[in-house]
Amino acid sequence: MINRTLAAFIKKELLQALRDPRMKFILFVAPIVQMTLFGVALSNEVKNIRLAARFDAKDMVMRQVYDRAIQGGWFVPARAAGAGTDDPFELIRSNRADAVLVPPPGGFTRALGRGGAPLQLLIDATDVNQAQAVEAYLRAIIQDVLKDDAGLAPPAPTIRLDVRVLFNPSLNTSLFMVPGVMTMLMVLTTLVLTQIAIVREKELGTFEMLISAPVSKAEVIFGKTLPYVIIGMANLPLLLLVAVFVFHVPIRGSLAALVLATLVFVCTTVAMGTLISTFCANQQQASMGGFLFIFPAIMFSGIIFPIENMPASLHWLSFIDPLAHYLTLLRNIMLKGGDARTLAWHIGVLAVLAIASGVASFRRFHTTLS
Amino acid sequence: MSAPAVETRDLVVRYGDFTAVDHISFSVAPGEVFGFLGANGAGKTTTIRVLCGLLRPSAGFVRVAGRGYEDGERAIKAKVGYMSQRFTLYNDLTVAENLDFIAGLRKLDPGYYARRRRELLELISFQKGLDARVQDLSGGTKQQVSLAAALLHDPEIVFLDEPTAGVTPAGRERFWRLIRLVAGQGKTVFVTTHYMDEAEQCGRIGLMRDGRLVALDSPAGLKKSVFPEPVFEFDPLRSLSSSELSAYAAHEAFAFFESYGPRFHAAAAGPEAWARWAPELEKVFRIRPIAPSLEDVFVRVVEGRP
Repeated sequence: MINRTLAAFIKKELLQALRDPRMKFILFVAPIVQMTLFGVALSNEVKNIRLAARFDAKDMVMRQVYDRAIQGGWFVPARAAGAGTDDPFELIRSNRADAVLVPPPGGFTRALGRGGAPLQLLIDATDVNQAQAVEAYLRAIIQDVLKDDAGLAPPAPTIRLDVRVLFNPSLNTSLFMVPGVMTMLMVLTTLVLTQIAIVREKELGTFEMLISAPVSKAEVIFGKTLPYVIIGMANLPLLLLVAVFVFHVPIRGSLAALVLATLVFVCTTVAMGTLISTFCANQQQASMGGFLFIFPAIMFSGIIFPIENMPASLHWLSFIDPLAHYLTLLRNIMLKGGDARTLAWHIGVLAVLAIASGVASFRRFHTTLS
Repeated sequence: MSAPAVETRDLVVRYGDFTAVDHISFSVAPGEVFGFLGANGAGKTTTIRVLCGLLRPSAGFVRVAGRGYEDGERAIKAKVGYMSQRFTLYNDLTVAENLDFIAGLRKLDPGYYARRRRELLELISFQKGLDARVQDLSGGTKQQVSLAAALLHDPEIVFLDEPTAGVTPAGRERFWRLIRLVAGQGKTVFVTTHYMDEAEQCGRIGLMRDGRLVALDSPAGLKKSVFPEPVFEFDPLRSLSSSELSAYAAHEAFAFFESYGPRFHAAAAGPEAWARWAPELEKVFRIRPIAPSLEDVFVRVVEGRP
């Protein structure tokens, strides 16, 4: 399988990629730094919500709701209200608070005593995710206050769900985000590097020299891509070390399955990078093409927004998104221990995507000029 | 007579509506140094690409080292060496790494490659270390190493597309000494250039214009066939206004009138017209008969009025 031409190619590509100190940094240092940074910073847990509440000192229940909210850790008091901030709407409009609790006239405590208690909550919903979280938090807090402190029955005795959180019992977001960050870094390195490697030769003119030798299409394509599969795979242990030792993400499934899934994924992204670069004449076009692919690929992968939230008519986009499959594979193997059928299915789909883009690049690739 | 090294008949290359190479036919003998001249975009590079197996012609007959496109382009590629006008070496790799890679591309036997590399580095009298990065070499040395790379597989024919562009005069001279050495070893050298002193060193020259081969002969033959009439150098005795100049350029006494530095080269239109106008012209110019240069040929055939 590995003939002299291919061996020469792999050696030359690795020499070029590893000689440049900037390239070495991009390949091996940047992923670790990014992984650490993103893992810490990217979280969809809503924290530090600035809460304002205007109430009378004698309004005991209202005070308890407010105090419990602040003590709970999710909320912080909105900065001391200055002049002209009597209007709760104005507090949110001027971005001094994210949420404002407004008790009914005469106070919440008294209103509760009367039986009806319309407590108004104003939420800044410019960030929808945060707004939903705020509503849920405050609803829970108010119910707890009514039950525990005020000794009142909750307003609507509804069915209580006894929730058992599986696989991530502490709802630790890094467990959830780290596989996503790994997926993004893997695709960045492999896809972009493959593109650059191919397009740079076209741009410099060395590609013409290359194909002036009696090489076959397969030799050129595999010669230009295999090195980047190798480099991509070399990134896996680095990222796993950060995942395990910095973020304490477990690897409950088999390491072999993880390596296999990554290998198939890297082959897919490298094949797609090759396909994109067959459409690009220079590096500007290549980076534009890379963005055109990577941006939607991240959006439809479920890394940031759950696929379930997307309209069903667009689910096929996630189906052809290699990132979505690799993300599922990583989460499944690392957090759930890896279920054979799930793994087989997603690895299978990735393999099909790899072969499809491989065949397409093969058809578009020529060892003659046109 | 042995089979030609390169032969084309009615070779045509079209890019969409544009005809880059328009029915050109010629042949090059083995061991010949064949020059290709023409303005940029005249179709020289396109023709070379076809002859190197890099570009399938739209129509016509092509035979290079006994192979044609019907044998597959790889059959042609195996027989020829090609040095394109752009980078043929990787700047970020060393000389040895570049040559190793090309040897690998062409699947050269390691023993043969080691021998051949030594031989070629000797030929180009390469002084720098093999582990010098290509980016640290001078323009002239870079081109010499590129030539060695193109000759690594011992091709019968080597195509050099503007090999001396951007090289110092001394470097150009060294490169042409190499070309003569290579031709002396029996290889056919097919070269394009914009330098007339280089063209002068070719056995035969093909002149291309707008995709057509408009002239093909030895440098001496071209001068004779392009300028059948006597050629003179005109040295103006006083400064001439531009309107006077354009009047002379269109003058019925001349078949050709072009500026040549502060002087002019001109060819007489015919004996009668010349006899009629010569006394008049001698009042304005000091006139002396000269042999036409290759540059005159180029200006008349490639850049002149069609």
